[in-house]
Amino acid sequence: MQEVMLDCLGEACPIPLVKAQKKLEELAVGDVLIVQIDHSCAMKNLPEWAREAGHNVEIEEVDDGEWEVVIEKVK
Amino acid sequence: MRKLHMWPSETCGAVQIIGRDMREKKVEQYDVVIIGGGASGLTAAIYCGRARLNTLLIEKSLMGGLATYTNEIENYPGFPEGIGGLALMELFHKQAKKFDVKFKLTDVKSVDFEGDVKKVETFRNIFECKAVIVGSGGRPRTTGATNEEKYLFDKGISFCATCDAAANTDKTVMVIGSGDAAIEEGMFLTRFAKKVIVSVIHDVGKMDANEIAREQALGNPKMEFMWNTVVDSFEGGEQLETVNLKNLKTGEILPVVVDSCFEFIGYEPNTEIFKEKLNMSKRDYIITNEVMETGVPGVYACGDVREKELKQISTAVGDGAIAGVEAEKYIAETEVFANQIMQKERIGMIYVYSAIDAPSREMLPMMQEIEAAYGDQVKLSVIDQYKGQRLCDRLACDVDPMTIFYTEDGEVVEISSECDRPSIFDMLNKLVAKPIEQTA
Ligand SMILES: Cc1cc2nc3c(=O)[nH]c(=O)nc-3n(C[C@H](O)[C@H](O)[C@H](O)COP(=O)(O)OP(=O)(O)OC[C@H]3O[C@@H](n4cnc5c(N)ncnc54)[C@H](O)[C@@H]3O)c2cc1C
Repeated sequence: MQEVMLDCLGEACPIPLVKAQKKLEELAVGDVLIVQIDHSCAMKNLPEWAREAGHNVEIEEVDDGEWEVVIEKVK
Repeated sequence: MRKLHMWPSETCGAVQIIGRDMREKKVEQYDVVIIGGGASGLTAAIYCGRARLNTLLIEKSLMGGLATYTNEIENYPGFPEGIGGLALMELFHKQAKKFDVKFKLTDVKSVDFEGDVKKVETFRNIFECKAVIVGSGGRPRTTGATNEEKYLFDKGISFCATCDAAANTDKTVMVIGSGDAAIEEGMFLTRFAKKVIVSVIHDVGKMDANEIAREQALGNPKMEFMWNTVVDSFEGGEQLETVNLKNLKTGEILPVVVDSCFEFIGYEPNTEIFKEKLNMSKRDYIITNEVMETGVPGVYACGDVREKELKQISTAVGDGAIAGVEAEKYIAETEVFANQIMQKERIGMIYVYSAIDAPSREMLPMMQEIEAAYGDQVKLSVIDQYKGQRLCDRLACDVDPMTIFYTEDGEVVEISSECDRPSIFDMLNKLVAKPIEQTA
């Protein structure tokens, strides 16, 4: 089980979602992907997409307007 | 390593075998848990935080809710020049933070409202609390047309013009819908896109939007309208390429090549997790009374998730304020009830009267006199039914004024409407350790 950081700081929609989808495909079940974002638009689609895909998601607000979306790959 | 602190069970071999679903959840206690960080939830948080309640707000995506989907808000008082939705909600959030509200960014998976301790469950935690405020709002409705799911999430279909407008600079986009949101967001999109094609279900010239928006839209050279149409299917490869519209009058299918499609056809309430637990309308909105009570003691609902007429930020704010204040009152009342009225130290005598009923009111001095006669053996509590109906409700008894509840060890042992001096002495003498002579 590994933990992978994905730096999407400074990137606007749709890039963070596209990158996260690609990265998650490479990971194994049980791995954790942490996507760093600072564009609020990604907060609206990335967590929702990951949850709908069945993964576990929690977000941490690391600073004002900066988040880490923590996705645990479930399937 | 983050995983260690996020999901401890995953890292220690023994627990790992049990599997992820058995992962033990951490239990935390709060006074109030607010579900949803939109205008209503954040307002409730400001009121609860300011009342010094230990308050937790749980939001599953971006703090601010649906208001962050719009570029310009012109009807929220206090901002005569208008303000962006995201900017406004950031101010709400900042204000709630000032009152020490705690925030968690995760989705609530289930709730348990039975009993005095309510439980709100997320993927890693169980939050126990005295009161819950539901402000889970709504989400955009989808058309249900063929292949729609294939193009959600940045594959071409969007519900948020502010989020995706810039990515559509010089592109051709379609807008579905003709209400205020559709027309206003469509006009906003013309600042970026080269063409905005609007699919309207109604006859030529007819829209659901307000008259000003309608006229502006009809005069906007970048906007084009396809009347009497609905979406039949979405087509393309990885990304959306064509929207097939269907003309409702002729049945004809009209393929329109676009780069993106924005849907603004209304909203659906986020109430799945409350099914069977709260009363809901036919359309699955939560039914409350005017003080946001859901019918389950200690559980309130506010904002767009309620069955109500006008769903706007200003009304969400009003609802949130009421829900916050009511939750605070409920918690205070729960404490008075448990610690004072149903105290366990002495034999209890709870006298129910009504401030507007003179005979019952006039008996108060006698009750106090009797309490005093028993020294520290008896504790008198009085409930004014006129003002404290909810305390009466907690005794789970619909009684007339001039009723006495006798308690022992915090349990009601006798309910009596005999309020004359001898009857009361008789009753109390049966209950206390050291009976006394009746005083005059
Ligand atoms: C495009 C658009 C334009 C608008 N323009 C205006 C305008 O100009 N003026 C105006 O006054 N109003 C406008 N509105 C309406 C306004 O946005 C809403 O009335 C307002 O957002 C309602 O606030 P709310 O708190 O009730 O719900 P919401 O804003 O919907 O917030 C609910 C929150 O709860 C969260 N949530 C839901 N379920 C869960 C769960 N299980 N766990 C954790 N969190 C959860 C959601 O993620 C969401 O953030 C507009 C709306 C849209 C979409």
